[in-house]
Amino acid sequence: MSPLLVRDLGKRYGRRWVLSRVAFEVAGGEVYALAGPNGSGKTTVIRLVTGLAFPSQGQVLLLGENVHESGWRARRHLGAVVEAPAAFYPYLTGRENLERLAWMSGLENAAARIREVLARLELLAVADQRTGGYSLGQRQRLGIAAAILADPQVLVLDEPTSGLDPEGIQKVHELLAEEAARGVAVLVSTHHLREISAYASKVGILGGGRLVDEVVLSPERPRYRLIAGDPERAAALLKTVPELREVRLQGQAVLFEGPPERAVFVLAEAHIPVLELTRDYFDLHAYYRERVNRA
Amino acid sequence: MLRFYLWEIGKLFHLKSVRVGLVAAFLLPVIWSLAPGLKQVYGLVLVSGWQVPALSLLAGMEFLFPFLVAMAAAEVLGAEVTMGTLQLVLLRPISRTRLMTVKVLAALSFPFLLLLASLLGALLAGLPHGFGGFYGGTGLGPEGFAGLGFLSAGAAFSEILRAYLLAAVTLLPIAALAVLYAALFFSTTASALAALATVLLMRMLVVFPAIQPLLLTHYLDLYLHPGAAAPGLWLLLIYTLGFSVLALLIFEKKDV
Repeated sequence: MSPLLVRDLGKRYGRRWVLSRVAFEVAGGEVYALAGPNGSGKTTVIRLVTGLAFPSQGQVLLLGENVHESGWRARRHLGAVVEAPAAFYPYLTGRENLERLAWMSGLENAAARIREVLARLELLAVADQRTGGYSLGQRQRLGIAAAILADPQVLVLDEPTSGLDPEGIQKVHELLAEEAARGVAVLVSTHHLREISAYASKVGILGGGRLVDEVVLSPERPRYRLIAGDPERAAALLKTVPELREVRLQGQAVLFEGPPERAVFVLAEAHIPVLELTRDYFDLHAYYRERVNRA
Repeated sequence: MLRFYLWEIGKLFHLKSVRVGLVAAFLLPVIWSLAPGLKQVYGLVLVSGWQVPALSLLAGMEFLFPFLVAMAAAEVLGAEVTMGTLQLVLLRPISRTRLMTVKVLAALSFPFLLLLASLLGALLAGLPHGFGGFYGGTGLGPEGFAGLGFLSAGAAFSEILRAYLLAAVTLLPIAALAVLYAALFFSTTASALAALATVLLMRMLVVFPAIQPLLLTHYLDLYLHPGAAAPGLWLLLIYTLGFSVLALLIFEKKDV
């Protein structure tokens, strides 16, 4: 069973359904990105998944435990940031805040782990300053440090890159990819579709409180885009190479999966000049705009 | 649980309304002991430092102390909502019942802290008048400030301590009511106002004499009648328990 399983989730305020029949699952090692325009229900999903809000229908299972019925027991497996920037006790230092959270999580050897996560989020220099004086970016990074503090098996983050500078955004994306590589199921709501498509496994597109589409990405099988002197001949030739897959012509470019150095070698041997070779990302942003407009 | 409670008490001292309340409670007897109109209002000329604490209770219990208790108790939960730290805590493997229980206990501790501050202020303000035995009353025992003759220092202190404890107990249901409203509204101001409005409405129900003995406001001056305290104390404790349990039940399924 997937560490995070969302079944038929719905939320109603009075007679108005703000979320209806949302279902998805996030396997260990997967990054599931939730995308959607403002008001589409992303934050509601995050609050329901983390047990902060209660659903009007459906259920959320964290490692098989219903987060709304098992309560705190299910949250043993959870790390989350649900607000941007993350909130902390302003009169405590960053380290003291994490110490309180570690105590509440029943974390053993907390001091070493706190130092480790502070270092990972590059917060050691400000660890002993009160969080009331932190910048938005520092608070957000401390929020992520708090989320990964207890080595959760499910990580849920609402707009984790909000308020961060480009370097901070890159750092967060690296960290999420690392956590997934370690086997953690990661659910993240984001507007940064281009960056997330580099390592996310699936993208759920929310619109009007419904999951209008789920796009499966394959970051483990990168695709390449090649511009060659004779594209038709190049495509025909590359189709014959057993190591290369999904070879096709798109306009003047040849798209393929497999080792790019092998493709270049084969074309060079055939005296077909290679003018350009780049990683071809799925244009999630364009696809997302199309789906949201259609929803 | 004890560590959790102590942390909650620590948080209490970082709340603005708590700090303002404690300072106000401390200063009230100091200001009142210097007031030139004491004789006109209370018919009192201070003859002993043991009479100052009664001044503080008489002045404070009318409105100030209930108001400060309602504000602080509402802020125990409201401040966490405003700061966003309630979510931070609820994302940890901590049960909501446990969290709310320590919050209720912290809110119920505040009346005792408030009256302790007031008592300390009163003892400080009473220093110039001395704390020996004296002819007269503390204002909190039989025959008020006139007393029944000579009152030893020990007897005076005992009377004052009993009255302050009783006064704190009469404030408990107001604290519990403010926490209940805070669990409902998640707003300090709305909750404190709702608690005070409820208390004021209860006071207005004086026009329904039959239900008076059932209202918590009927017992707010219990500290002046310690002999008849027992039935009122039970009712106040039932109110406190009832409001607290309701707050726990509401918070258990409340969206945060």
